[in-house]
Amino acid sequence: MSALARAWAVCAKDATQELRRKVAIVAVFFFAATALALVSFGIGPFGLRAEDRPPLLSALLWIILFFAAATGLPRAFVAEEETGTGLALRKTIPAVYVLAGKTLFNYILFLAMTAVTIPGFMILLEWRIGSFGALAAIMVAGGFGLAVVSTFLSALVARAGQRNVLFVLIAFPLVMPLLVSAIQATNQATNGQFPLDGIRILIAYDGAASCAAYMLAAVAWED
Amino acid sequence: MSARGPPEAAASYAGGIRVFKRIADARRADGILRRTVPTTIAAESLSKAFSGAPLFRDLSFSASSGLVAIAGRNGSGKTTLLKILAGLARPTSGRVRLETDGARPLSTSEQRLAVGWAGPDLALYGEFTAIENLAFFRRAAGRPASEAELVRRLADVGLAEEAMRRRVEEYSTGMKQRLRIAFATLFDPPVLILDEPMVALDLDGRETVYRVIETARKRGTVLLASNDERDFAEPEQRVDLAGARRREA
Amino acid sequence: MTKALKLLLLPYMGAVIAAAFLWPEPAKGFIGESSRIVFFHVPCAWAATLAFIVGAVYSALFLWKKNPWYDDVAVASIRIGLVFGVLTLITGSLFANIMWGTWWNWDPRESSYLLLVFLYGAYLFLRAAVEDPERRPRIAAAYALFAGVLMPFLTIVAPRVTASLHPQTVINPQGKILMDTPTRVVFFNGLAAFSGLFFWMLSIAARAERLGRRQVS
Repeated sequence: MSALARAWAVCAKDATQELRRKVAIVAVFFFAATALALVSFGIGPFGLRAEDRPPLLSALLWIILFFAAATGLPRAFVAEEETGTGLALRKTIPAVYVLAGKTLFNYILFLAMTAVTIPGFMILLEWRIGSFGALAAIMVAGGFGLAVVSTFLSALVARAGQRNVLFVLIAFPLVMPLLVSAIQATNQATNGQFPLDGIRILIAYDGAASCAAYMLAAVAWED
Repeated sequence: MSARGPPEAAASYAGGIRVFKRIADARRADGILRRTVPTTIAAESLSKAFSGAPLFRDLSFSASSGLVAIAGRNGSGKTTLLKILAGLARPTSGRVRLETDGARPLSTSEQRLAVGWAGPDLALYGEFTAIENLAFFRRAAGRPASEAELVRRLADVGLAEEAMRRRVEEYSTGMKQRLRIAFATLFDPPVLILDEPMVALDLDGRETVYRVIETARKRGTVLLASNDERDFAEPEQRVDLAGARRREA
Repeated sequence: MTKALKLLLLPYMGAVIAAAFLWPEPAKGFIGESSRIVFFHVPCAWAATLAFIVGAVYSALFLWKKNPWYDDVAVASIRIGLVFGVLTLITGSLFANIMWGTWWNWDPRESSYLLLVFLYGAYLFLRAAVEDPERRPRIAAAYALFAGVLMPFLTIVAPRVTASLHPQTVINPQGKILMDTPTRVVFFNGLAAFSGLFFWMLSIAARAERLGRRQVS
């Protein structure tokens, strides 16, 4: 059976589990919705000057996406440890497939989250997007890096104390370059440009993070 | 490895053992643990220390078949030793060697499936039914199984067909224990490690586990930890963790 | 041999410090004597970088050879790196206050360096949070290496955000060392002296880590 099918089995397992339990998925979307409501209530559609809107809204969008992701994505491995299923997983499945499957699930979760948050942003904050293609490319490239890094770090913190604080603490400096590039690129996309430069950095980041996670998967997850 | 004693010797054991032998003779060989490759598991001067005194030190033994009884009082390190042997924990020093077909060391991925393990802290997914659980582990391990096979495996550990299709979070402690046994034998491992498998089981459940052990020790190695001496039916070897000594049974 | 080197290090450091204040003229275009900070600020940054590289190398060695001594060296190195990193931030901030009138102005170099310090602070936090002594060094090494791979992105991304006020670095687009001879001599001897200091500190700190570990077990 191919490696992809095995990773997919893990991803499908996570998806089914989360859909049946609902807590994590609801929490992520609820967080995104709350933050969105808060921002739009605070700023409103006309609370910002026209020239300030693209950079500020881009930054706000990614801050919301990052923190919403930080409530949901680290569950990947943390949940396995909390329910005690980590042993069964480690006993039967190589770490790389587990990591790949969970990354895939987190990636899908992130994309679903953006698919809900971005229209919300457009409606509530009068956010006009110049280039939808560019925005989609940023979300696809940026979300992947975010999913890879969060999932990998989730494996690291799964068996440590104070996991949630720890996760944000160790994730923040690592995803900072990704967030900064994504925010700048989103700003350009809002203005109708295609942010080739930013997307190049995002893809490079994705590649570096994936390779590092692949090499270190067994170290992070197995005993 | 010494040969097993004469069947009469069973009479010297407590009642549970007699049940054990009877069931073993009538075992369903076509059920669990069908095809196994001869495999040797060897502990080479294993030591484990948690901050402070060592739990056990310089522990060595080797087994290619039969039952290895792991005995010792509470806190003597039985569970830790079995986890180390199952590849789920690291020894402070020493190593575990797994070989097959005349001293060929097993690859890491082979090792993972060649050793079946069930212990008290093994949990399966509560959101899934027993069948879904086993199906997932088979698929993700790259050895998908038909539903019919999984149903048979679960029936072998005494789960009712109706129970297999219920979510595991609704299971009683004993049912969960049966599912753990099914998980441990899911890949027909030549080396089966059972840590206190009788816990929370009723008479029928214990008989089921005795049957599993009898089948497995004929086809490979069973490492069994228990606090109840009656669970060890004429073990080929005995590892006593009281002072980390080992002696032939 | 090593003892002789250690004995020589103190007079050597002393000479470098004295020379830094007495020999080179203050560089043009800088307020007052502020340019002299280059003899301390840059070697601190250099020592921190060296420490983080040593930390990553020894983390990889640990994962490869599983010898706990490598982990002792890695954690000791990163701890010392953090000290030098904080000193870099402080000296930079002193300079910024004299030159630009603010202690902190989110210059891209400042912010990326701050993140670097956060990153390795998080490393120590992670170590403290993993209770199992068998697992701690592995988790820490995995993070150190993962961070090592992603760290370069900080330096790629930061300058794109805003233009930097930071003076030209030794590694610059012109590929030249923009210094007069006295400055250059003191500067490179400063780098050497701080490197020596770092390795001396590391040898002490790593052995202290080993002692601490043995005391526990």
